[in-house]
Amino acid sequence: MVSNGILNENPIFRLALSMCPAVGISTTVMNGIMLGIAVLFVQVFSSCTIAAIKDYIHPRIRIPTYTLTIATWVTVIDLVLAAYMPAAYKEMGIFVKLIVAFAIITMRLEMFACKNSVPSSFWDGIGMGLGFMFGMMALGFVRELLGMGTILGYDVLGFRPLLFFVLPAAGFFCVGIMMAMFNYMELVYNRKKRG
Amino acid sequence: MKEIIRITIGLTVACLVAALVMGSVFIITDKAKKHNEHVNVQQTVLGLLGYTKSRPAPSDLKLYTIYRYLLENGDAKTLGYMVPVEKGDGVGYDLIVVDLDGQFVNRFTLPITPNEAAEAQERTTALRTILKPPGVFGFADETIIARLGAERLAYLIPGKCQGFKTFIDVMLALDQSFKIVGLEIMEHEEDPGLGGEIEQDYFKNQFKGKSLENVKKIKVIKEPLPEEYKKYLETKKSNAEPLPKGVIDTIRSKYQDQDIYALTGATISSNAVTQGVKGIIRKFAYRITILDNIIASQHIPVAF
Repeated sequence: MVSNGILNENPIFRLALSMCPAVGISTTVMNGIMLGIAVLFVQVFSSCTIAAIKDYIHPRIRIPTYTLTIATWVTVIDLVLAAYMPAAYKEMGIFVKLIVAFAIITMRLEMFACKNSVPSSFWDGIGMGLGFMFGMMALGFVRELLGMGTILGYDVLGFRPLLFFVLPAAGFFCVGIMMAMFNYMELVYNRKKRG
Repeated sequence: MKEIIRITIGLTVACLVAALVMGSVFIITDKAKKHNEHVNVQQTVLGLLGYTKSRPAPSDLKLYTIYRYLLENGDAKTLGYMVPVEKGDGVGYDLIVVDLDGQFVNRFTLPITPNEAAEAQERTTALRTILKPPGVFGFADETIIARLGAERLAYLIPGKCQGFKTFIDVMLALDQSFKIVGLEIMEHEEDPGLGGEIEQDYFKNQFKGKSLENVKKIKVIKEPLPEEYKKYLETKKSNAEPLPKGVIDTIRSKYQDQDIYALTGATISSNAVTQGVKGIIRKFAYRITILDNIIASQHIPVAF
């Protein structure tokens, strides 16, 4: 189930969810890693919470309940980070607050957590979170290298090839190209499987 | 009908639980958060004064904080400065009340120690003993004065300016003559890579060494940053090789009166910081001069 989240149902490249952070914030690898970790935590906690109380939620107020849960967990993580990990919080403080609006978390709760048990939701959350983090890191790698010539802040190329890659427009290009690559890889894989 | 009731109850319960969880986490983490902020401010202050881990501050470096409050009693509006004063057995706080034209009005002793004064809640309690209702008061800002021995080393002024997105929190360090010693960006919500570059040395250090006269006229120009100037601004970076001393002095005097070079793709943020710095220095120079005059004329034994 974990590998499902990373490959088959990768949130950014296959489910096409949460394109906003994928396009806007994946400018460096470090950003990708930090945001990925934060999303992982929020996803796992929210999935488990909803899976645990799914029998008590009235169907008509599903979405408000999801939003409340996500908002609560994001706030908790934000406060805990600010209090106990100030160095990390300085880097990703702005991003953590935005997680509330990510489509991936709400959609995953709707599609999976409200219909499955707590353990399954837990692993699904991990899978989705890791898939998101992997996607962001891949994008960040390409955009940081081509846009600023660095990786994780270390000057690799010594010059800036194309500053364009740091802008959101390039984010769209990169996501599109990577999506195509993923689809192609799946095609090849299926072909191989069929012999 | 039953459905509506069930839905309403469900939503209300969910909201209450969420509020409870968030509230308790806030209360639990509040103390640690405040402590982190204090440490951050301390480190920034020392950094601005030129002290680092490898070059720690000398033991006779003392930091004193002045808190400014706006006081209102009916129609009368005045300013209250909480200043540290020398007392027989250490440092205490007095409240100097000044009217809006800079004239001395009154002076009170406050039952508060410098350590307690760092907490806003303690300050409010102490002020309440002097300013009884229906008077109201509100916190305006604070200034840190660094003293080395018997001299005033620097003024450290935390300030807030309106940025491109929301606000930009800065800390400005000025010397006795209000020349800029350093600028640090404390907090902002600008875009990383664009407005976020205000945190970089090659932008912040442009403000260093500008005198009060310079700053009054300074503006932002949209021209590329000259290579030699950039090298000079980033001499503190670990992987940059140090420039020879003669070159440093030439570059410094050449660009002393230069306007601020804007950041690529972030003119508004650059402008925001520049205008913010100008405003902070102007207001501070005005206020501290008034305060110093009053301290001299009233013979107040201030600790700074």
